[in-house]
Amino acid sequence: MAHNVLPQPVQRLIDEFARLPGIGPKSASRLTFFLLRGAENQALELASALQELQARTRFCSVCFNITEMDPCVVCEDSGRDPNLLCVVEEPLDLLAIERSRAFNGRYHVLHGAISPVEGVGPEDLRVAELVERVQGGTFREIILATNPTLEGESTALYLQRRLAGTKVKITRLARGLPIGGDLEYTDEITLSRALEGRQEFS
Amino acid sequence: MTEVCHSLPNKVELPDGWAICYNAREFFCKPRKKFMRITHLSLTNFRNYGRLELTLPAGATLLHGNNAQGKTNLLEAIYYLATTRSPHINQDQQLIHWDALQTHDPVIVGRLVARVATRQGERQLEVRLINEQKGQQYSFRREALVNRRKVRLMDLLGQVRAVLFLPQDVHLITGSPSQRRRYLNITLCQIDPIYCRQLSTYNKLLEQRNALLRQMAEGRGGHDVLSIFTERLVTSGSELFARRGQFFSNIARETQHIHYEQLTDRRESIRLRYLPNLHDSPTNSSETLQLADWLEDHLQQPERIKERFWQAMQESKAKDLARGSTTIGPHRDDWAFWVNGRELGLFGSRGQQRSAVLALKLAEINWMTSQTGEAPILLLDEVVAELDEQRRALLLNYVQSAEQAVLTATDKAMFSDPFLQQATMLYVENGRISANPTA
Ligand SMILES: Nc1ncnc2c1ncn2[C@@H]1O[C@H](COP(=O)(O)OP(=O)(O)OP(=O)(O)O)[C@@H](O)[C@H]1O
Ligand SMILES: [Mg+2]
Ligand SMILES: [Zn+2]
Repeated sequence: MAHNVLPQPVQRLIDEFARLPGIGPKSASRLTFFLLRGAENQALELASALQELQARTRFCSVCFNITEMDPCVVCEDSGRDPNLLCVVEEPLDLLAIERSRAFNGRYHVLHGAISPVEGVGPEDLRVAELVERVQGGTFREIILATNPTLEGESTALYLQRRLAGTKVKITRLARGLPIGGDLEYTDEITLSRALEGRQEFS
Repeated sequence: MTEVCHSLPNKVELPDGWAICYNAREFFCKPRKKFMRITHLSLTNFRNYGRLELTLPAGATLLHGNNAQGKTNLLEAIYYLATTRSPHINQDQQLIHWDALQTHDPVIVGRLVARVATRQGERQLEVRLINEQKGQQYSFRREALVNRRKVRLMDLLGQVRAVLFLPQDVHLITGSPSQRRRYLNITLCQIDPIYCRQLSTYNKLLEQRNALLRQMAEGRGGHDVLSIFTERLVTSGSELFARRGQFFSNIARETQHIHYEQLTDRRESIRLRYLPNLHDSPTNSSETLQLADWLEDHLQQPERIKERFWQAMQESKAKDLARGSTTIGPHRDDWAFWVNGRELGLFGSRGQQRSAVLALKLAEINWMTSQTGEAPILLLDEVVAELDEQRRALLLNYVQSAEQAVLTATDKAMFSDPFLQQATMLYVENGRISANPTA
């Protein structure tokens, strides 16, 4: 019977790394030993970055993007079109759209998509906040920029029904996005085309 | 058209796929047949093949050898490359060679590679069956490649097409509805990529809707979300109804024709019927048959199909909620044969059932050829042994006019001498294939 000869702190870090998405047990060990052998301040830098991540970020109380200040820089930016609202699943989708420079309105981050299989319903997302924002806001157009996946499409359809009573125009990103793909990994050109070609959602 | 050309002795093939046939008095121009066949097959750790490199000729190849040597496994490999499915309902992990799994290496790969020749040129298809260590456990996944580039598994379909004949085909008639749906899906997916994509969407939506129904039974989840998934399920499901309906209206005519004209000397006529589960009524009931007629009449009106399915879904909503699952829809479809007003699966003799399923498979060959312009590869496992003289001759006729066919037999004597002289003989022994039995 082989004993685990690794000191407990080493094993702990390996286990923590291995819990991250895309990192298997091998990479986890490699990262851990890299930090162990590396310059002393490298590990400490990482530790403090992790601590800061926890301590200094929060969700924007308006759009629910991740931010250091509340409200976030996008919500505070008076140069942005107050008539346009873009609804995305994740903060990374917001970043992707920002990179395309094709959009200069406001955002709303849902933090997921409706998926009963994973136990996610509208009440687990920032949907109520969205409805409230739209009802009390100045928006003239809502762009539903959820992912073109089965869950993203279902979420868009759901939001369209929920917002049907308001007088706001509802649009959906045009096709042209890779089916089954993630907004986060889409290149800028495709994304800006998709934004230009958005259509009324009916 | 081919007839005409046969009667004209001279033929010039043109590069763009046309041919001119002529004699002293007349000439005739026809498109050269498109073709598709496997020229080479490589297997690594697939079933009892540790390593196999096999060049396959055009025309008929007969694999012979003793029991349990790997004849059926080879047909399975070709079928798998064509359909991404095993004909057996088991876990695909079992396709990897036992010896390879025994090694407990971190990554264990079974590999199937085919070089396919078509009129447009050659392409290479590959499927990898990967058993990979994740923590303490192994997880299984598959990869597909066309010309060495990774594609979705779905993109492999239609790259090479096959029709498979198995001794146990009669189970299609006597077995469970899920076996019949499986056959239906594999067959349709081979020629209709839109169907295949729609089927995958439908199955995911179904899973979502069922999960939601279960949550609603526990007091979670709302009717507003349910109506979203119902709506999308209806849209997707109607598409499946329409495409399946279209398929059956074609294949039923062809099957009935072959059965009547070629298999029973015009003594017996059968009917092949699609039984769409578009309504909450038992299969085989007269309502279901009426529904089948209605569907056939409305194949060109997708909106009507959708409307009707939507209506039926509303009616079964209470039942769905009580059961915690979706009780109607294409996932409950079935099909069946009728002879003299009686269902063949329940009342037919074994011989009648065999003939019906043979007619269906032969019709499948003609249907695939007419849909794609390319004859499918025929794979026949031991089936010749079970047929009477007349049927054997008929089946071998199809084999001889196929671009490529692979047959298996333990006993070569089953075949006529002229057939054996035309066919390429390969001897299978313990996962190895050679031209002759080793002494
Ligand atoms: N995953 C696997 N790894 C190794 N061997 C396997 C695997 N799966 C099946 N086999 C072996 O393959 C053999 C069966 O091969 P196959 O069914 O092709 O035989 P066959 O030549 O068609 O025989 P028969 O004439 O009886 O039909 C069996 O001996 C079985 O043990
Ligand atoms: Mg066999
Ligand atoms: Zn904000």
